[in-house]
Amino acid sequence: MDRFLQELTKGLWKELPPFRLLLGLCPVLAVTKSASSGLGMGLAVLFVLTLSNAIISLVRGIIPSKVRIACFITISATLVVAVELLMQAYAYPLYLQLGIFVPLIVVNCIILGRAEAFAAKNPVHLAIADGLGMGLGFTMSLTFLGSIREILGAGTWFGHPVLWEGFQPFSVMVEAPGAFLCLGLILAAMNYGTHRQISRRNREAAAEAPSGCGGCQACSANRG
Amino acid sequence: MSNPGNSDILLAISTPPFWHCGRTIPKHSLHTLLALAPAALLSILQWGVPAVRVMALAVLTALVTEAVCQTLMKRKLTQDNGTAAITGLLLAFLLPASAPWWLVALGSACAIGIGRMAFGGYGANQVSATLVGWALIFVSFPAFMDPTSSLLQTSLFDPLLRIKYFGSAAAADLSLTDLLLGRQLGGLGAAQSGALLLGGLYLVLRGVVRWEIPLAFLLGVLAAASALHLMNGALYAGPLVHLASGSTVLAAFFLATEDSCSPHRRIPMLCYGLIGGVLVMLIRTFGIYTDGAPFAVMLINLLAPLFTLIRSRPFGARPGWKNKAAAEQRRTEA
Repeated sequence: MDRFLQELTKGLWKELPPFRLLLGLCPVLAVTKSASSGLGMGLAVLFVLTLSNAIISLVRGIIPSKVRIACFITISATLVVAVELLMQAYAYPLYLQLGIFVPLIVVNCIILGRAEAFAAKNPVHLAIADGLGMGLGFTMSLTFLGSIREILGAGTWFGHPVLWEGFQPFSVMVEAPGAFLCLGLILAAMNYGTHRQISRRNREAAAEAPSGCGGCQACSANRG
Repeated sequence: MSNPGNSDILLAISTPPFWHCGRTIPKHSLHTLLALAPAALLSILQWGVPAVRVMALAVLTALVTEAVCQTLMKRKLTQDNGTAAITGLLLAFLLPASAPWWLVALGSACAIGIGRMAFGGYGANQVSATLVGWALIFVSFPAFMDPTSSLLQTSLFDPLLRIKYFGSAAAADLSLTDLLLGRQLGGLGAAQSGALLLGGLYLVLRGVVRWEIPLAFLLGVLAAASALHLMNGALYAGPLVHLASGSTVLAAFFLATEDSCSPHRRIPMLCYGLIGGVLVMLIRTFGIYTDGAPFAVMLINLLAPLFTLIRSRPFGARPGWKNKAAAEQRRTEA
């Protein structure tokens, strides 16, 4: 059970797909014009990723390793077609909004990456946990990025106006350059946070274990 | 060289060169500000207090943004070298006098924050910081950036806009003197082409700006505009109108010559300027924007590293040195 939770939670922060692994950037940049399309795309990927991880993990014993990539692609393509048809039936406006990027989930690096790196080597329940965690992380990131871009670029959040009256939308944010800009700034902020965390941990470790070098603080002073 | 007043080290050990010609960044900035002064004065005479407001706000925001970024990055504050002020002033030169305060502040903050400090500070940016800020607000708020639609109480007009939509005859009654004296609608300072030309020549004579880039840039505009004019005189205006209108002169002398974004040998600089000038005319004629100069400068900024690859033969090198040097480099890398 511990292992299950560990695989589930690693996708939420430690290996957050778009911002830590930098995988699957095509939908991250292209369909996050609004929070709702980001959320829709994230849910579609969550569905495909969890099921493809489960199926690939089930059949991992019988796929010859030479043709495994083709098999993985076939499995995920089947699931993507299912998602596409479901979307057309039950969420047609969202389908129109996402356009070509729904079929393109097949070639999303995260799907193949998790299949190759995790599902093909682990039992079913862990593969499902991995797919769920990664998918949730992906959905979260896309909704977050979509929210930032929609609020700044259109003044709305999930279609509801949230900023003051007379706000002039910063419309470069909902265009292609805005996606790169936002992604870069988020990555910079995350790297800055991680860097500070590490240096604080180092300082604490140095404070806890003194007198190793006769009480000299030179190395911790340098690090700070 | 090391400054004893600034550091606590008495004996500095450093590598050559030990001789310094005395040229420093603050001096460069001072000359550039002097060169920009006539255009600023003329635009204040023309537009009055609103022009002062836009320029002051842009410069102030640029300085404050730089100070905030440098504090966050735990660096020495360098507002006194004047480079941030120049970035802000150049941005103000591209804005209309009617720009609302938030537009100026946002543009200036983006120019310094995203255009310069995100890349690591002065001298590390690949694309002119002023233009990054300008492009962000220009793409986002076209209605506020367009002097024609926001300055209604004036009899002046934007020659490029007329030429674009009504053919060259629409600007036929414009005299070159009027254009040079800034009697046209455009960016605050960018429209003062005569004053900018004077300032630019001062910078060239002072050696702050290398003459190759502005000359080649203006030549590129001249050549491309002449070719288009000869092809269809009714549709495309003559080269002199294009040289003196829009922000051609500002781009040639002040924007394209930013040190960190331009190549530094003679032939690369000439190619860089020439392609910039031709791009200006291409964007003006076939693009959707009336004034292509800032976009053209951004594009050649990105091409600058490629132009830097053009190198002359080192003294004494045998023919074929390039292939040998490349092979040597591959071997050391492998």
